[in-house]
Parts: sequence; structure tokens; C-alpha cells
Amino acid sequence: MSIADDLRSMRDDAVRRIDQASDLEALEAVRIEYLGKKGSLTAILRGLGSLPADERPVVGKVSNEVRVAVEDALSARRETLRSARMEARIAAEAVDVTLPGRRRRAGTEHVIDQIVDEIVETFLGLGYTVAEGPEVELDYYNFTALNHPPDHPARALQDTFYVRDLSGDVATVEGESDVLLRTHTSPVQVHVMERQEPPIYVLAPGKVYRRDVADPSHLPQFTQIEGLVVDEGITFGDLKGTLEFFVKRMFGEDRRVRLRPHFFPFTEPSAEVDVSCAICGGEGCRSCGGEGWLEILGCGMVDPNVFGYVGIDPERYTGFAFGMGAERIAALKYGIPDLRLFVEGDMRFLRQF
Amino acid sequence: MRVSLKWLRELVDIEMDVAELCARLDMTGTKVEAVHTLGEALDGVVIGQVLECEPHPDADRLRYCTVDVGSEEPLRIVCGATNFSAGDKVPVATVGTVLPGGLEIKKAKLRGVESHGMMCSATELGVGADASGLLVLPANAPVGEPYASWAGLSDTVLELEVTPNRPDCLSMAGVAREVAAVTGTGYRVPASEPEESGTPAGELVSVSIADPDLCTRYAARVIAGVRIGPSPDWLAERVTAAGARPINNVVDVTNYVLYELGQPLHAFDLDTIAAADGRAAIIVRRAKPGERLTTLDGQDRGLAADTLVIADPSGPVALAGVMGGEATEVSAGTVDVLLESACFDPASTSRTSRRLGLISEASLRFERGVDPELQRRAVDRAAQLIAEVAGGAVASGVVDVYPAPAVPRTLTLRPERVAAIIGAEVLTSDIVSILTSLGMVAEEAEGDLVVTVPTFRPDLEREIDLIEEVLRVWGMDRVPSTLPGGRRAGSLGEAQRVQRAAGRALRAAGLCEHIGFAFADPADADRLGWEFGPGELPVRLINPMSEEQSVMRWTLLGGLLRAVSNNQRRGVPDVHLYEIANVFLTAEGRKLPKERLMIGGVMAGAWERPSWHGDARPLDFFDGKGVLETLMDALDVDRWQVRATTDRAWLQPGRSADVVVRGDVVGWIGEVAPGVLDAFECAGPVTVFELSFKSLLKAGKGTGSYVEVPRYPAVNLDIAIVVPEDVTAERVTAAIRSAGGELLEDARLFDVYRDPADSAPGERRLPEGTKSLAFALSYRSAERTLSDEDVAPAHERLVKTVLKKVGGSMRA
Ligand SMILES: [Zn+2]
Repeated sequence: MSIADDLRSMRDDAVRRIDQASDLEALEAVRIEYLGKKGSLTAILRGLGSLPADERPVVGKVSNEVRVAVEDALSARRETLRSARMEARIAAEAVDVTLPGRRRRAGTEHVIDQIVDEIVETFLGLGYTVAEGPEVELDYYNFTALNHPPDHPARALQDTFYVRDLSGDVATVEGESDVLLRTHTSPVQVHVMERQEPPIYVLAPGKVYRRDVADPSHLPQFTQIEGLVVDEGITFGDLKGTLEFFVKRMFGEDRRVRLRPHFFPFTEPSAEVDVSCAICGGEGCRSCGGEGWLEILGCGMVDPNVFGYVGIDPERYTGFAFGMGAERIAALKYGIPDLRLFVEGDMRFLRQF
Repeated sequence: MRVSLKWLRELVDIEMDVAELCARLDMTGTKVEAVHTLGEALDGVVIGQVLECEPHPDADRLRYCTVDVGSEEPLRIVCGATNFSAGDKVPVATVGTVLPGGLEIKKAKLRGVESHGMMCSATELGVGADASGLLVLPANAPVGEPYASWAGLSDTVLELEVTPNRPDCLSMAGVAREVAAVTGTGYRVPASEPEESGTPAGELVSVSIADPDLCTRYAARVIAGVRIGPSPDWLAERVTAAGARPINNVVDVTNYVLYELGQPLHAFDLDTIAAADGRAAIIVRRAKPGERLTTLDGQDRGLAADTLVIADPSGPVALAGVMGGEATEVSAGTVDVLLESACFDPASTSRTSRRLGLISEASLRFERGVDPELQRRAVDRAAQLIAEVAGGAVASGVVDVYPAPAVPRTLTLRPERVAAIIGAEVLTSDIVSILTSLGMVAEEAEGDLVVTVPTFRPDLEREIDLIEEVLRVWGMDRVPSTLPGGRRAGSLGEAQRVQRAAGRALRAAGLCEHIGFAFADPADADRLGWEFGPGELPVRLINPMSEEQSVMRWTLLGGLLRAVSNNQRRGVPDVHLYEIANVFLTAEGRKLPKERLMIGGVMAGAWERPSWHGDARPLDFFDGKGVLETLMDALDVDRWQVRATTDRAWLQPGRSADVVVRGDVVGWIGEVAPGVLDAFECAGPVTVFELSFKSLLKAGKGTGSYVEVPRYPAVNLDIAIVVPEDVTAERVTAAIRSAGGELLEDARLFDVYRDPADSAPGERRLPEGTKSLAFALSYRSAERTLSDEDVAPAHERLVKTVLKKVGGSMRA
């Protein structure tokens, strides 16, 4: 047998073993066996120099062909094994993507504060600022300066919470005290007008208190949002336009607004504001009690007597005020049937908003 | 105010349907709160005539009747009543009718005999109190006609919301006037001139007003020789429609006139009024100390000194404008009636009625203001009606004491002011016609209008009140909408912005916002072991809804714990809440309390329920502290720390701390003490915190400046230091930081190791009473890449210094 034949048979042997290598490690072992520093093919290639000169070209050519064939077989097999290994790994790492994700849930803002924030944003855009006032008030700010006559029924002990006055003053009105829990956010109007010259554009959200037993439609504590504008040339049309703008922002462009004359001690003329029912659009349906309209706020032009208390000239300035209940708006917007849900802190309720 | 449309139509022409009328009233300021259709409930009830009556074959107490109801075939009806016989006419509820009580009439078999309907009693129809037998109708009742319309029960009643400024609308005549004004039609004022005879009233009665500040007018008439008895149907029906209960003919007339004209009247039995100088003497005066009166309702009442009473020489006989006395009331035996028609002071009436808890149709009207010019007309009207329904003769003349007759008010209205307030041009001619339709007289004078206001509109005192009248009748819907403002930008104040940022941070940390009641239970102080500061007192309500809500909360904690308890009771174990709200404290000598805005939080259960990827780890102190860390980062409060405390009685010692910013305590955090958990019915552990918003606002440093992001790699080295148990992590961390020099960028505590309590002596890896704290240190330079050799000297120095400072050793 010639050396060339030996080489060819070594090649066939090597290629077979390469193809049989089951993983990259086995393949590397085969490579080393043939082409490593001490490999059998390497030895032959190295021994070429000692061959007779006439055999050298033939054997050289064949041995080169054999080396190339073995190297090709190695790299082909390596590629095959590599991709098989990758596939195996990918298969092993596959998961059931329908399992729930890992998370820490963020908390939620209370729906009432969401409503308040939304209203505040709307009015910031119209150039208003946000004003605040105390929740425990003097009768003067809650009633007197808002043009409530001394015998006004809202002052009664059955409607307003009174607070024990520890100053030793002799109370001048109803009950034992002229200190009370504010029954509306309107006293903030008076504070603002006392400390600020017109033009005034303010919004005053806050907690208010009335002596109602908590039931599905009443709470002894709720949230009001008050608006006040005092400037030169303010008209009832301005009030109307402002509220229409607000209602469309808050409830949707397709909602209509209606002002009905009403009476409040601190505005004149006064109105109640209805928004058209979202369900029936004003035709009247079950959810609006057949009325077609839902009452959402009270408003009016600032009564000149109120300007009198704070020293603003009613001939030079006019103004308007409006007030609304955040709970009522939230209840309307989300169809919440029982106002008590707002104050119970039930996680299942709070998480919905 | 209940308004019968049938009655109203007698006083005003209504040229629109009910829906349109209601809409017009709504849009002009008199809200129609409800519309009731009377008689609707009696649909299906017809007039029938009993043709035959036979005893029921199987039941003695039942009768088997044949009844003609106008249909082709008479009905066969079984009936248990006995007060009728063949030929009588009765109301018959036909099959399918649902009676007012809810009873549905069906074909029925009574003891084997079929019955096709029901003959009804007054009670079954809801038209009377008589349940003893069938309602037998007059012989002329038309067979087959619907009962309700024949009986005049078909009517529409509007329930009007009359605002407090409109006392004039508390009568049928007033509503008629308003309807005429807002619908542009005409109305009729009911008036009477009674036929007079006999002794002049002035010789029978004397009236004196001792306190004219509380009674501006008192008009009296006498009707002699009346016969007290039930009212005729028309009168009883009217009074019922208005919402009162018929009593007797004289009292019903006074109620009728009250509803018709708005003037409360009172009828005395003339014989019971004590006389002076031979005449029954009426004295209107304030009550004297110690005086008492037994009122119509049988109550004996002590009278406060400023109570206005009607008295005779023997003492009080009535509470003016509120309620009559029992001794002088009109009764079955009354022969001569003294009729009072007066005008009492609103405030005085209101005080008396509220003090005594007596709110009547009369007091309500006086409270709001009765037309001071109405008394004469009302007493005439009532006298005539009494003579009509109770017989008797109206004595000639009226004793009318009216010391200072009302003068109609005159106001000036500037048409340009109307435009300036409304924002729309209203034609002067329109203004005049609106005011005229409302009963005013408006005359032009030099471009302005001089308006005379009728006495029945006490609410119209100023120009603005007239503008309001013009606007509501002219139409708010006609005013063009405009949008003011926009000349300056609106923005939140600093505190408002920070408050919002705090809320955002707490939500990002996983807490939901809660809004709770500001009321608190004073007993919560004991439940919590709360100690108020020196002189601090909770804010007490004078008239709380309940003892449990009788003070204003001085901490958010009680409410937050109740929310946890509510959730747990409802099967919701994971509770994470925060609240930002005012707390209230006062002190002796203070009028208004201090209101402080607080940030409170509560955490119970776990962040999430157990899941396929892990258990639900119970939340504890460090979850709460983590929330605080998030919050402090968001508010830019640096250099804050917690300081272990045992002074907060509601917190568990060893798991509670004060929150301190630059030496000032700004709040606290901890796990709730076991006894407090029991008192609030909470399952622990529950972690809570409360911080003063104002302190955090002050501590926040605002926007910091940019710190360069590192460009060169760090050298990271870990060390574990064994220290005695009482050496805090904070102390070791501080020692590392101060020893680190400028290359030490960060020291992160990543492990705390203690030998397990039950480990055998041979298995212990640390000396008794020690723990191991492991820190990951990172050294970094901003200028170059550090090598291990660069760091080695600094690190060695750090280790040596720290061990010495905290008395520790390196962990082997
Ligand atoms: Zn609707």
C-alpha cells in the first residue's frame, strides 16, 4: 500500500469519526487526534520532508487534500453541533408566557382627589390659582360675611357642627359658640377678598362638614370645590361661559349645560347648574330620574353685600362664584351608588380608580 | 309647596301642557320637584250598581251579588260587607286593577263560587278612613263611569321647591301670580266682602299690641252663632290636596285661606277669651317670666321671656304665629268665633318655633315673611267662608290694629347696570314689562327706572334684586357665554406642589390614598396610650353625631387603623394606605384650633398575595421605612434619620422610631403595639407612620445641582465586620463613610448575620452577643481608572479605623 492510500484511508476514518462526534467536546478530541500537535495527520505532514524526492509531489498533494477535507468536515460538524446546542438551550429556557408577571403594584390616588386635581388643572389653565382656608371657622366667615341673616336656618345646631370655644368669649350667635366646622368652602372667598385686591381668580377645594347622618346619599363630611372671580366687567355671561367650558372638559364635549335660577344668600343673581344626562342626552331616562338633567353645582354673581363686608367697591368690580361637591361628581362620573364607600378605605374600592 | 292644578286653574289661565309649565317654572327659579297624578291609582275602578244580592251557598258571612258596571254582562262578585242592598251604587274594582294598597284584583273562587272583581270600601280606595263597609255612593252616580273622575279625584299636584327668598309663592294666589308672570297670562285674586250684621265687632273685642316691634298688625273679626261640624266635601278636598287633615268647618276654613292667600289665621272660641271693659280683650305681648301655656297638642309649655304671645287679661292664650292654646280652641260647642289675622315678626316666630320644636304651616310662613298688607283681605275671605260653611253672622267691622302701615319700597334700576351684570342687552321695554308682570310699577325717569315694589315681595330690597328678577324671567339661556381670565397664568403654590409630589411618591411606593372622617373618638386617646403635649387639648364638637365622632382627630392614626380593621374584617388582608389631611389641636384660651397637615401611612399583610414566583412576605417596619425613603427622596429631604424610641406608647418598643431631620423630630414610624392592635381589632403586624407636612416642606432642599455621572470603573471590595449587638448599622455605616476618604464612593450594607438562636456551641460562627454586618464598598476616582494597588492603602486604613471606632473585628 502506498502512503497515498494510507492517507486516503485515514481521511475516510477521520471524516467518519467527525460525523459521529456527539458534541463539541468529542469533536475537539477528534480534531486533536488528527490535527493536534501530536496528531496522526500532523505527523504524516511533518514527515513529508523525509520522503524520496520523486514521491514528494504526489504524497504532498494527496496529504494536502486530506487535510483540507478533514478541516472542512470539522468545521461543518462544529457548525451543526453549535446550532444544536443553541437550540437545546433555547428549548430548555422556554417558559409559559401566560404565567402572571412579577410586580409591585403602585398605589392609587383617591377618586375624590383625582376629581379635585382634574378640576384644578382645568382652572389653572384659565389663569386661576388655588386658595386654602381653615376647616374650623368662625361664624363670621362661614355665614355673616356671606350675607346669611342672623336667623338663617343653616346656622341651626341640627345642621352645622359647632366647636367648643375655649377663648372665654361670650358666643354671639346660635348655640354656645361662634366657632364651627365650615359648612362650605365659601368662607375661603371671604379670606381671599380680605387679603387680596382684584383681579381675583381662585379655586378653593377642601373638606366641609354638615350634620347629616351618613347614608348612601349623604355624608357628614365631604369635599367641595369653590371658584371665585372678581374683576372689572365680570358678567353673568362670563360665569356661564366658564361653567360651560368646565363641564365640557370634565364630562365631555357632547354634554350640555343649563342654568336654572335659584337662591343663595351670597350670590345674586344665583343659579343651579345642570349637565345633560350622559345616558339619554337630555331626553329623560331611568338613570337621571326622567329629568334628562343632573344637578352638579350652584353659582351666581357675588352679592354686593359680600363685597361690602370685605371692602370691595361693587360699582367698580363685579364677580362670580360657584361651588360643587366632588363626591357627587365622582358618583355621577363612575356610577357609585353609596357615598360611604368614599370614606371606608376599602382597598378593593380604592384600587378601582 | 303642593299645588293642585285643578285649584290653580281657577286662579290663573294656563295655556300650556303640564310638562311645558313645569319646564317654564324650572327655568324661572321655581323648581318642580315632583309631579303627582292623583286618581291614577284608581284606574279600573268604576261605578257599579248592585242588581241582586243572594246569600252565598256555603258561607253565611258572604253574599253573592250581580253588579251592573255598564258592560254588556253584569259582573258576579262575592262580597263580605253587609252595609248595602240591591239597588245601591258602589265603586267596583274590575279584574286587573291594582288598588293603592298594592292589591291586584284577579278572578277568584271564594268557597267554590267565582268572583269577577271587588266592591270597595273607602279605605281600600285610599279615599277615606271608613273600613266598616262598602263606600255606598249617591243614587245619581253614573253607572259605568270611572270612579276617580266622577269623584273629582283626578288631579295633578305639583310639588314646588320655593326658595327662602320667595314667601309670596307659599300660597295658591302667589303661585298663580308667578305662573301668570312667567307664562304671560292673567290671574285672578280671590276677594270677598262678607255680609255683615249684628253687634259691631268693636263692641265685642278689643285688641292692643304691646310689642309692635314683633307684631306690626292684628286684625280681628267675629262670626257669631256658628255650628261646628264637618266641612263640605269641596273644602275637605281642597285642604287635603294642600296636605292638611280636615278637622272641622271653621278650622278648615282658616287652613284653606292659609293655602289660598298665604295668610295664617287663628280661630278662637270667643267665649273663652277673658274680657276687660265688657269686651273680649286680646293683648299681643312678650311672655312674662314663669308664664306657661297648654298648646293645642296638649303639651304644657314654659315660655321664654322673649316669646311673643297672644294673651287675654288672664294670661297667654296662644303662641303668636306658632300654635294656639288648648283652652281657647274652637270645639264642638263653640258658638261665636274670634278670627285672628295678624303679621308677626319673622325672627321672633322662627326662634319660638325652633325653641319649642313646633314647626307648622303658619310658623313657616311667618318665618319667611307674610305680606303686611294681606291681613284684612284674608280675614274678610275667611269670615265669608265660615258664614257660608258653618252658618253664623259676621259681625260688622274689623278690629284692625295697624300702628305703622307698610309703605311700598321704591328702588332705582339703571338699565345699563342690568347689561353690566347680565352681559346682555335687555330692552328697557322688556325690563318694564317683566317687572310689571311681577306686580311692580316701573316708571322711566331720566333714563333710569323708578320701581315700586309690592309689599308681598320683601326680598326685593336693592337694584341687584331687581336685576335678578329681570334675568330669571328674561331667560338665563338667552345670555351669551363668554370666558374671562387668561391674562395671567395659573399655577400651584410651593406647598401645593410639594403636597402633590408627596402623594405621587407614596403611590409609587405602593400605598393607596385614603380619605377618612376628620371626626374621632375621644376614647382613642386611651386606646392608643396617646399623651397630649403640655396644654394641648383635642377639639370638641358641641353637637356631634355620636360620642364616637365627638372630637376632631388629633392624629391620622386612629382612622388608618380602623381602615385596616375594616379591610381585614371584609377578608382583605393586604392594606397599604396613606392619608394627607389636617389634624386639630387646641388649648385653653384659644378660639380657633391649630390645624396641622400630616402625612400618615399604614401597612398590613403583604405587598401581594403568594404567587407562583414566591411567598407573600409579611410587611414590617422596614417596608414602612422603605416607603419613607422613597418619600424623602421625592421631597429632596437629605440628612434625615430614624432614632429608636420607646416613648410612643402605640408602637411596639424595639420596632419604633422617631423620624428626625437635622435634630428635629418630624414624625414617627413603627409597628403597632400588640395591645393597640387588639383595641382596634387589627391583626398584626401593622406598620404605621405619621409625619408633619410642614416640617418636610421646610426640610426639602429644593432642586439640587447636577453631579457628574462616573466615567471610570470602580474597585469593589466587600468587608464583614463583627460588632456587639447594640452597635447599630447606622453607627457602622457612619464610621465607614467618615473613614473612607475621597476615594470611597459608596458603602452598601448587604448582609446582616447572626448565629441562629438554637445553634450548638460548636456550630457558632460568631462570638456570643455579636452580629456580622457585611458591606459592599466601592472606590472610584473621577479622574482615572483605579488599580487594586491604588485602593489597598486606603482600604486598610478604613478597616483599621472602623474596627477601632465601633469596637468590632473582621469576620473570619
Ligand atoms: Zn337620562
